[in-house]
Amino acid sequence: MTHPIIRFDHATFGFPGIIALEDVSLSIPESEFVGVIGPNGSGKTTLCRAVLGLMAPLRGTLRVLDCACQELRCHHRALIGYLPQKGMLDRNFPVTVLEAVMMGRYGALGLFRRPSRKDWDIARGALAQVGMDHHRASALGALSGGQQQRVFIARALAQQPRILLLDEPTTGLDLTAQHSVVELIQQLHRELKLTILMITHDINMIRSRVDRLVLLKTKLFAEGPPQEVLKPEILSQVYGKDLVITDKDFVIVEDYHHH
Amino acid sequence: MLELLAYDFMQRSLLAAALVGAVCSVIGVFVVLRGLAFAGAGTAHAAFAGVTLAYLVGLPPLSLAIVFGLATVWITGWVEEKGRMKLDVSIGILYTATMALAILFLGLMKSYNPEVYGYLFGSVLSVTSEELLTIVGLSVAVLGTILLLSKELYFIAFDQEMAAASGVPARQIFYLLLTLVALTVVISLKTVGAILVFAMILIPASTAYQLTHSLTQMTLYSMLIGTFCAVSGVLLSYAFDLPSGPSIVLLATSLFFLAVCCSPKRLHRIQAQ
Ligand SMILES: Nc1ncnc2c1ncn2[C@@H]1O[C@H](COP(=O)(O)OP(=O)(O)OP(=O)(O)O)[C@@H](O)[C@H]1O
Ligand SMILES: [Mg+2]
Repeated sequence: MTHPIIRFDHATFGFPGIIALEDVSLSIPESEFVGVIGPNGSGKTTLCRAVLGLMAPLRGTLRVLDCACQELRCHHRALIGYLPQKGMLDRNFPVTVLEAVMMGRYGALGLFRRPSRKDWDIARGALAQVGMDHHRASALGALSGGQQQRVFIARALAQQPRILLLDEPTTGLDLTAQHSVVELIQQLHRELKLTILMITHDINMIRSRVDRLVLLKTKLFAEGPPQEVLKPEILSQVYGKDLVITDKDFVIVEDYHHH
Repeated sequence: MLELLAYDFMQRSLLAAALVGAVCSVIGVFVVLRGLAFAGAGTAHAAFAGVTLAYLVGLPPLSLAIVFGLATVWITGWVEEKGRMKLDVSIGILYTATMALAILFLGLMKSYNPEVYGYLFGSVLSVTSEELLTIVGLSVAVLGTILLLSKELYFIAFDQEMAAASGVPARQIFYLLLTLVALTVVISLKTVGAILVFAMILIPASTAYQLTHSLTQMTLYSMLIGTFCAVSGVLLSYAFDLPSGPSIVLLATSLFFLAVCCSPKRLHRIQAQ
């Protein structure tokens, strides 16, 4: 097995008075595409924030890119691209698409340095990769949700990351936009050999695309190839008895199955 | 009008006003975008409390203004970071507490001191050479820092957590921004006064916000508007014998309403409907 790029070793994370993730041990090798699933509040976003070094482990250890990423200053941060869970974007914030993508390079550039010609080329290239180059001069707030999501993926790519963390990249998008964003992510994985952690609630969409699934519910409930994780006995323990798997391997809520 | 420029006091006031206009309007861009407007207003009153205490104990007025201003912004930042209390509540308390201190110190003074009131209402025409020197020094420091760290400041204004996640020392930059706000308030006390300084920070930036979709352009427009209003305000105040603070601020306010009416952003949206 190749050397893991992310390694949790009995790591626990939390907020004052709350344990969000407990005793997680997990190794992710370079270039793996990992899907992270689990109910609301199960610690998925916490897992991402931990990898980014925004939360230090309360117990245990976490090593990312061979560095104990508990220090805010860790320069390895710039090697981790992050698409946060959809927040409220101020639609009036005066920023153009290209300016927003360029922000992805600021960490790698370091203090005091201005973006060079090369940095602008990298930002333009990242925009082209997500198929948004023709929108580069538009106001970010004028774009649709799916287009903004592409721009934020481009921002993460402009970092030239080795790891890409995607927190619910398809939530809030219409079906075609969801499909095209997921296709884009899969293509990036193939072409750039990025290590990708993608959080999603859409189990059916992700199951055929990832190398490995991680199922969280405050603890690491199950992990492995999708067919090993998506078993009725495991899912019912996490999501309750209503979740069933159809003969076509679709995970659905039981009520719909009967009607 | 030109012969006015021959007077020393006029040169000093115009230079002070131009600098204060520029610094306030540039820092204002980040204050507006980062949502710190109310925090700045609190700082101005704290700084004034510092001025009154300095007069009471016989220290240079701006020294304690800086101490009070910095203490207030840092406490504000810390409260926001911890998220223990709603920001408007904590600032509301600091704001009124420092104002109460200022009134207390004023009351403790044995005699009426008109100079103190200059810091409350602004009196740019009475700026001395030493004060001008302080203003120049601090302005260069504030504008220089902003120029050097503008990309980080923009990033934390846009999304501080994202900035931290991509390797920018976001927390340090946030406290630096708060420090710059306090220094800006102190620079401006003598020119526009504690009550009105916040208008100078808020209004040019908000006016520029109406006019453009680009960060760099917003900063440029804001600076032009701020400097123009400050200089014209001083000339108006001299020509018509008006107090300088209100002349500057009301001029800026008129421009703001003009911009709201003609905002390309707004017009664009109406056309789209
Ligand atoms: N800023 C915070 N302060 C305190 N507790 C928090 C904070 N953020 C998350 N938590 C808690 O940590 C736990 C895990 O939250 P997390 O955001 O990781 O869940 P999630 O799996 O991403 O959920 P969702 O599917 O809703 O996005 C929850 O119990 C939540 O209450
Ligand atoms: Mg989440």
